[in-house]
Amino acid sequence: MSNADSIQPDNADLDQVTHYSSESEIRNPLKLLADIVGDAMRGRELAWRLFLRNIRGMYRQTLLGLFWAFLPPIANTAIWIFLRSQNVFDSGDTSVHPTLFILTGMILWQAFIDAFQMPLQVVSSNRNMISKLHFPRESLLMVGVGEVLFNLAIRMLLLIPAFLYFQVAPGSMSLLFPLAAIGLILVGLSMGLLIMPLGSLYQDVSRFITMALPFWMIITPIIYAPLKSWPASMLNWINPPASLLILSRDLLLGAPLEHVWPGIAFGVAALLLFIPALFVYRVSMPVLIERMSA
Amino acid sequence: MSQSTNILEVDHVWKAYCRQLKRSMWYGVKDLGLQLSGRAGDRDPQHLRPGEFHAIRDAHFSMKQGECVAMIGPNGAGKSTMLKMINGLIKPDSGSITIRGRIGALIELGTGFNPILSGRENIYINGAVLGMQKSEVDRLFDQIVDFSELEHVIDSPVKTYSTGMKVRLGYSIAANLRPTLLLMDEVLAVGDVGFRMKCFAHLRKLVDEGVSIIIVTHAVAMLSRVATRSIVFGQGRIIHDGDLETGTIIYEEELSARATAHQAAATGNESSATIARIENVQTCNEEGELQTEFETGETVALQIELGCDQPVNRARLVVALCSPVHGELGSVSTPHQQFEFQLDPSGQTITLTLPDFPLMLGSYHFDISLYGPETTDFYHRNCGRGSFRIVGPELDPNGYGLFGALKLEHHWKSDR
Repeated sequence: MSNADSIQPDNADLDQVTHYSSESEIRNPLKLLADIVGDAMRGRELAWRLFLRNIRGMYRQTLLGLFWAFLPPIANTAIWIFLRSQNVFDSGDTSVHPTLFILTGMILWQAFIDAFQMPLQVVSSNRNMISKLHFPRESLLMVGVGEVLFNLAIRMLLLIPAFLYFQVAPGSMSLLFPLAAIGLILVGLSMGLLIMPLGSLYQDVSRFITMALPFWMIITPIIYAPLKSWPASMLNWINPPASLLILSRDLLLGAPLEHVWPGIAFGVAALLLFIPALFVYRVSMPVLIERMSA
Repeated sequence: MSQSTNILEVDHVWKAYCRQLKRSMWYGVKDLGLQLSGRAGDRDPQHLRPGEFHAIRDAHFSMKQGECVAMIGPNGAGKSTMLKMINGLIKPDSGSITIRGRIGALIELGTGFNPILSGRENIYINGAVLGMQKSEVDRLFDQIVDFSELEHVIDSPVKTYSTGMKVRLGYSIAANLRPTLLLMDEVLAVGDVGFRMKCFAHLRKLVDEGVSIIIVTHAVAMLSRVATRSIVFGQGRIIHDGDLETGTIIYEEELSARATAHQAAATGNESSATIARIENVQTCNEEGELQTEFETGETVALQIELGCDQPVNRARLVVALCSPVHGELGSVSTPHQQFEFQLDPSGQTITLTLPDFPLMLGSYHFDISLYGPETTDFYHRNCGRGSFRIVGPELDPNGYGLFGALKLEHHWKSDR
């Protein structure tokens, strides 16, 4: 190595003092928040590199490439449209053609589920890196969120031909769609962050999620219009993603808005929950690493 | 830069682990609860929950700027746990660790490499993982490739690289970190000798420039190229903190004690028949005085006291000289030199003399087997006995003296 770039520690570095003890960081929430924000800023470059790595690596060894991003919602929608055509179920009074209604619902549901499963997935797939290297853990979340948004954006492209075919024109209210969609993703992300520590310790959690997902999807108004009669309508209130999914879809399709307040309520709740959920993610990491490497 | 600045202070640190999977997970839930409720704090270090053991017991040491410390010890002694706590990956149960400056860690070279992507792409990714900005990697890119000697394959996918090539690329990226304290865990155990030497020279340069380094390794022979101080771990405790030579010997003795205990557990270390046995083994000098420390080239004599219940004619002894690091180095037997002896119930001592002892600095011991006249007459095996140290002369890893395990008799000659 040339002397021009000799590797010498900076004297200024010595002012940086790091102290590790058994005490929980949560005792000082403001400092913890500042540390999270600081690490998120420091981890931007890493997050971007890992995001590019994952996106490039995701499709490089495939023949169909990006088509794999489109396939799940197309396949799911096709199955439900087929079942509906055989009168297996009734979509109810949908504001637009049922195919477009189900396709939109599927894309939004997929984004929610991606966000919900992401924290557990990033910790599990980066186990080796997390247990061996000290780097801003927040960068993994940024990568995960980036991938969720990237996949949502790719899938949204499917809606362009669908909108043209069914002659649906988004209205001015559609401009608020990204806000509602981000709220939906935030609900999934916050819930995912909260279950991540337990899910990393016990595989029962991921097994339960895999088993429960089809049921969860069925009770969410994705393939049918929101239920209005009591007590079934209560599902829209107790099922966290339901209201924001309905609101996002109504905004996108220009349908009458019926779930504005529940949607806003869940969005605000997710926002308030997000910071404690980040605390849980950060504080639980050393305990999880002990079990990853012990 | 002041060389007396303490850049690391490890203050009475304890850490307990649990080896039972289900219990460990349950303790994980409990620890999570304590951390999240803010009730986590120093545990009573003496208190262990069922199934737990101390991975680290009351570790206490500090490091100055520009020091290179070798952390050595047998597997499971606690050195990697210590390194993880210094690196902030896990928390101590009790005690504290304070670090001044930036930490860089070479724990597993190439962690984060994507095998499908090229070496070029992975340099940027790994650089970011290690905390480098893109502009920094841009500036150092040619040096990294040059140091790794992988110019010809830098655009090929990393999955086509051999393990050694991945290590070279990983080290070359990490070598450009600018930490105050560099942590290394067994990263130089692989790779070809030439590249390893290049890495040691590079580490030496880092130390000269004021970087402090902690190296965890089992390749103790290599350490003298860069480390000046050693911290030896044994069963979670620091059993030596001082010069490297003594540390290496203590480490070898620790290994030897483990091997002996293991072998004793596996083979029983006792006679299968009780006719005859090895009673006692000790080393002494030429004059027959008991001695356990020698210099290379001196005479090492081994006194083996034998006992038996009935007389045995033409008994045989097989003595193997062993090193905890290198294993069995050589073996001699009484029949080889037509040395015959009889065992008598009144007891007797057989002396084996090894003149001009050729091995260099380190700890050694003997594995001794006692047989009767027939091939099938096995009486007793005693492993790990007669431990002794070679304490001099000093070795010189820089090429101006003797180095390695064996002192070679040699002569130089020039035709001019």
